[in-house]
Amino acid sequence: MRRFLAVGLCLLMAWFFAPGVFAQDVLKLGIPLPLTGTNAKFGEIEKKSYEIAMEEINAKGGIKGKKVVLEFEDSQGKPEISRSIVEKLIDVKKQPVIFGEYSSSSSKAVAAVAEERKIPYMVVTGATDDITQQKYKYVFRMNPTNAYYAVGFISFLKEVVKPKSIAILYESSDFGTSGAEDMVNQAKKIGMQVLVKEQYEKGAVDFKPILSKVKAAKPDVIYMVSYVMDAALLMRQIKELRIDASLYAGGAAGFAIPEFIQNAKEASELVMTATLWSPQVAYPGAKEYAEKYKKLYKDYPSYHGAEAYSALYIVKDLLERAKTWKPDDIRAAFKTTNMVTAFGPVKFEDKDGYTNQNFMDTLVMQVIKGKHETIWPAKYASAKYVYPIPKWRDRK
Amino acid sequence: MAQLELFLQTLISGFLLGGLYALIALGMALIMGVMRVINLAHGDFMMIAMYIAYWLFTFFGLDPYLSVFVAAPALFLFGLAIQKYLLTPVMKVESILPHNQVILTVGLAMIFSNLATVLFTGNYRSTPVSYASSSWYLTDYWQNSPIELSLSMPWTFSFVIAVMITIALWMFLTKTDTGKSIRATAQDFDAALLMGVNVNWVRMVTFGIGLVLVAAAGCLFIPIYYLYPALGKQFTNVGFVITVIGGMGSTEGAIIGGLILGIFESMTATYIGMGWAPVGRFSIFVVALIFIPGGVASLLRRKRLGK
Repeated sequence: MRRFLAVGLCLLMAWFFAPGVFAQDVLKLGIPLPLTGTNAKFGEIEKKSYEIAMEEINAKGGIKGKKVVLEFEDSQGKPEISRSIVEKLIDVKKQPVIFGEYSSSSSKAVAAVAEERKIPYMVVTGATDDITQQKYKYVFRMNPTNAYYAVGFISFLKEVVKPKSIAILYESSDFGTSGAEDMVNQAKKIGMQVLVKEQYEKGAVDFKPILSKVKAAKPDVIYMVSYVMDAALLMRQIKELRIDASLYAGGAAGFAIPEFIQNAKEASELVMTATLWSPQVAYPGAKEYAEKYKKLYKDYPSYHGAEAYSALYIVKDLLERAKTWKPDDIRAAFKTTNMVTAFGPVKFEDKDGYTNQNFMDTLVMQVIKGKHETIWPAKYASAKYVYPIPKWRDRK
Repeated sequence: MAQLELFLQTLISGFLLGGLYALIALGMALIMGVMRVINLAHGDFMMIAMYIAYWLFTFFGLDPYLSVFVAAPALFLFGLAIQKYLLTPVMKVESILPHNQVILTVGLAMIFSNLATVLFTGNYRSTPVSYASSSWYLTDYWQNSPIELSLSMPWTFSFVIAVMITIALWMFLTKTDTGKSIRATAQDFDAALLMGVNVNWVRMVTFGIGLVLVAAAGCLFIPIYYLYPALGKQFTNVGFVITVIGGMGSTEGAIIGGLILGIFESMTATYIGMGWAPVGRFSIFVVALIFIPGGVASLLRRKRLGK
């Protein structure tokens, strides 16, 4: 009797799970994202953006006639959880293409699983250089890497500021460390001396000790790689200590989202940041997406949102072009991707030691009168940059 | 001169930070002393108080410092309820694990932080008060000063209020009957019971006061820091380390331990590197456990007995 019961149960389970991904006319796509924990903020921006893209795609008939249903899985920002989520998506749900995740550490963990299982994975926001430097065949990345975040910013330094020295502060994560390393390399190239290079633990309360050290070193440029609240605290405490540098700059992430201005208030004024995207940039669909997001959630999205929004369009394009929905055919479709999304042009290339990496222009924004304005390169600029920057003592 | 400026500025930062750390640890030490329970939800209670302060600021424009008067009583009542309906019943249950209540506090911590994520989303929040980055500068008052030091306005406010609260607590513990019964219970539970102290009631009040202290700490922290649901863990750690340095359950120890940790962290940040701060924090914890197992409190006691 018990055996029958067991067999029956197995059958029931099989029946339950069998329909899987391709059932009926619904295409279910699982996306790992940090929806709780310290990175939840970014996870949420991305989730909302994926949803906007999903609704648009479904309104226009879905992907190959199938209605897209996104299933978000909370990775809590922990690589080991992202890993197990993706293992489940691949092994149980047989999803032929994986995309998503937010932080570099989690993306790296997912990339390793995808490569091992030979399922194509598209990194959407993870920016550490080495994810696409490992000759992974199945890992693609739509966002520029850390090393390229600062390209636009460096050209601004070279042409306008001409600084001699720099201080680099960064959070002790994959993202922070690689951002700082790249800045050190770039600084060498344009002849800037690195006076201070310090890491800090994310979530620190008091930055004044290292900032005092920066102050004593008197650098021309202070460059910080931080997430949002650290960024706001850093600028507030720089103002408190009246550290006068010719330029305060952030390496995207925390400095590039509206919360930075809301939290740092007047301490954020005239701070520059490298960024990948801004709501006023002239890519097709960018403005529409940004406005739609603002209408729904009252704020403009950060570049993370634009990346997520465009990611779903890239996946749509892939699935429509792929011969079959087998992982290898999808991988072949990745290789021939060539489209312009709301986030910018996407094309996966092998060059400069990277495999399957998308290369694109990066921008510089500056907070002018409490608003982020694109200031560099000049052809994308929405406002003229403010430089030189007045000393703290002389500001109101 | 630059070196002196760096040193003094670091010392100021460390001292201010230490004062606030001490306030967090005070509540934890008090609870530990009387109830022999490590309250591992301490930081999460602080998070709750910070949300109270945040919402009061957002909806009514109430200054976060004033919200102490709302958050502290609210958490006091909350503490009484938790002690009465959760901790006391658990204490009575026989179990293989000796510290059921500690496990309960871990559970509470998880419930609070997850509940906060559900209710308030994972957004980072802060109360951007107008004086958030205002400071006093030495050169503004003494123009020819060879060195420039700055003293942050909100940090100083927070520190001064923390000191005032500490003094008030000290008065309460030494001058009032309730305070005396709390100290008696902390010193010797059975003796206090025999002397006719209503121990259960003392426990309830102590837990409440512990939460009042951490609620105050939350309100003092929010103008200088920020808020998100998972913030509790970090401050629970800080409180725990300080309580160990200070000597389990000793309030004087917690104050000194807080200052030691604050100054130590700032000095590590300046002279070794800020990335080392967490390493430093836990090495001081281990060192304290090995060399002064009774914490700072045992040193104080030894000195007193020596006289």
